[in-house]
Amino acid sequence: MPRSPGLEAEESRLTADAGQLGARSASDVERDAAFERDALPWLDDVYRFALSLTREESDADDVVQETFLRAYRSWHTFIPGTDCRRWLFTICRNVFLRSRERQRPTVDLEDGEQDAVAAGSVYAAARERGYDDIYARLDLAPALREALDELAEPFRSAVILVDVEDLSYESAAEVMGVPIGTVRSRLFRGRRLLQEKLVTVAEDLGFQGAGVP
Amino acid sequence: MMSAPARSKLRALGLSANCAEVLTHLWDYLDEQVTPTSAERLKAHIATCAQCRQYEEYQECFLRAMSNLKQELNAPHSLRERLAARLKGQGCGCWDKVSRQP
Repeated sequence: MPRSPGLEAEESRLTADAGQLGARSASDVERDAAFERDALPWLDDVYRFALSLTREESDADDVVQETFLRAYRSWHTFIPGTDCRRWLFTICRNVFLRSRERQRPTVDLEDGEQDAVAAGSVYAAARERGYDDIYARLDLAPALREALDELAEPFRSAVILVDVEDLSYESAAEVMGVPIGTVRSRLFRGRRLLQEKLVTVAEDLGFQGAGVP
Repeated sequence: MMSAPARSKLRALGLSANCAEVLTHLWDYLDEQVTPTSAERLKAHIATCAQCRQYEEYQECFLRAMSNLKQELNAPHSLRERLAARLKGQGCGCWDKVSRQP
């Protein structure tokens, strides 16, 4: 992911400043200690989140570096005592979205009623084929990962944040910069799309449903 | 309140209109996003309806499978090295802690 010329210029200016400053002020030392204590322990979590967004290790690598550099530069905006992991996830997702701005899909969200009918259809299809205990009988982790990789934004972010990273709806809403109701509808649509995909996977695997002799 | 066409679609799928509330709000219920009163109502219906109980088990298994995807995945050493170098370039005093962490 190429860095913008503006960012590179800013970084080189800061690098020059850092070299010239030499001696560090007490507030610099305090900021660095807080950054080390509150932000650095989440590096692995941010990497995992970035990887699930980008699906490519090298892109995830770039996103994580950019996330932590921005976090360091904007450390004064972090409110001590709040959830730093959530704050970093927010930056990480913004970095990712900016890098993919041109590829960002625009998808119409269905209303709750249509989603309920659609969820019922998916379940009915699974039940009809005897796949209603599919999750208990098959190790679907590889298929789930693959299905998750294919899931379009913004549904993928909602599912990853809430179902995989275990964030509350409220935290996911902050990370995604949308109201809680939007997280809910994206999450439900994402889950339904995953379940649809898994029924297809089960068929491809020749999975014999419980009701099939 | 679900519309008549939606209720009819659910009936065609073999799902009772009485179960529509569970179908619509089960994920809210499992995610603990409904009020205690609504949770009690859904819970009471699920306890008496075999179809909704099966649906609840199906969705619980799905959410467990999703949660299990959170694997221990660590940032590669090469990434830590690169990030440390860039933080150092910005005058960050704890840059060396980035590459030292496991």
